Amino acid sequence: MSIIWNDNTPIYRQLRDRVVAMILDGALKPGDALPSVRQVAADFQLNPITVSKGYQELVDEQLVEKRRGLGMYVTEGARATLMKSEREHFLREEWPALFARIQRMNLDLATLIKNAATTGEKS
Amino acid sequence: MTAVVQAKGLSKRYGNTVALDNVNLDIQPGRIVGLVGPNGAGKTTALKAILGLAEFDGQLSVLGLDPRTHRTELMQQVCFIADVAVLPRWLRVSDAVDFVGGVHPRFSREKCEKLLARTKIKPTQRVRELSKGMIVQLHLALVMAIDAKLLILDEPTLGLDILYRKEFYNNLLGDYFDEQKTILVTTHQIEEIEHILTDLLFIKEGKIVLDATMDDVGERFAEVMVNPDKADAARALKPIYERQVFGKSIFLFDGIDKARLAELGELHKPSVADLFVATMKGTYQ
Repeated sequence: MSIIWNDNTPIYRQLRDRVVAMILDGALKPGDALPSVRQVAADFQLNPITVSKGYQELVDEQLVEKRRGLGMYVTEGARATLMKSEREHFLREEWPALFARIQRMNLDLATLIKNAATTGEKS
Repeated sequence: MTAVVQAKGLSKRYGNTVALDNVNLDIQPGRIVGLVGPNGAGKTTALKAILGLAEFDGQLSVLGLDPRTHRTELMQQVCFIADVAVLPRWLRVSDAVDFVGGVHPRFSREKCEKLLARTKIKPTQRVRELSKGMIVQLHLALVMAIDAKLLILDEPTLGLDILYRKEFYNNLLGDYFDEQKTILVTTHQIEEIEHILTDLLFIKEGKIVLDATMDDVGERFAEVMVNPDKADAARALKPIYERQVFGKSIFLFDGIDKARLAELGELHKPSVADLFVATMKGTYQ
């Protein structure tokens, strides 16, 4: 497998972000095992220290837990924790800009809700 | 922790040519170290000294042993794959396994056979009937089945296609390497292995010109794309390299504060290949 890593973020951080995305998507569920450090190192051609560092970030954020002798597992509360921080991030960073744009375009609440309802039906 | 390789003032001359010039090395266990340099920079000479295959001046200790006087003991803990295929062409695969099993006390026949079973190599085949990629697979299976502390790879994937090259490092990382082992590798295909490495050594004309962990490399070096109006300001900070792309200048800096560089333009982390070109400029002139 080949991935192009972007060169402005450390790779261990990008690895962490990938696992986070997989938890949010539901591709990794609470109680699921993460692949071993060795496996990830071989698959992505990374040195094992980089992989361990990425996993350690996830442990520090309590998204995964180390079970002695078994490996790393997604914690029960991982998705809820992530959702909470993602929501906060959205409201703090993205919503103000989005809201300003909505106002500039004179879109009223009723139109937005109507569109949201039809978009919801389609998906 | 004791160093796996420690060199102080390591030097080697061939007549009037200085192949190694006062080289200092300190390689710790559990690292994957890339030794990178242009052709003729002294890479192979350094590896030969470490393996006890060449005389040298200065101090060198490998796993606490002097390779000049304790080569036999050393060879129980050190494995080597060279850029030139050394397996005799008339040898049968099964004979190669028997031979290594007979001479090496730390060889696991079971592990070797398991590794070979994943390839298309058959025990009855002779080396001359194998493709270049398969010979390297055989060599790697023989070496990976030896529980050694230090593995030295000199251009191990030279002349192999990308599938064999990927598989080679995949095997090393998935089935061989752990924090008790150390790998020292030379290659010209740095971009393929830069994420595997924990440490980087650049050698130029027999001298070590860069010795840093990959984390340090990320901290120390930065590439900045600068508009013409700020190019002189960038030059004043003494970049180690400058090149032009689309009317902008790209400067490579060593050890300059990132916040200061960000004022000049967009920052990037240079690839090892970029660093290599910048460090080795003028080598062939």
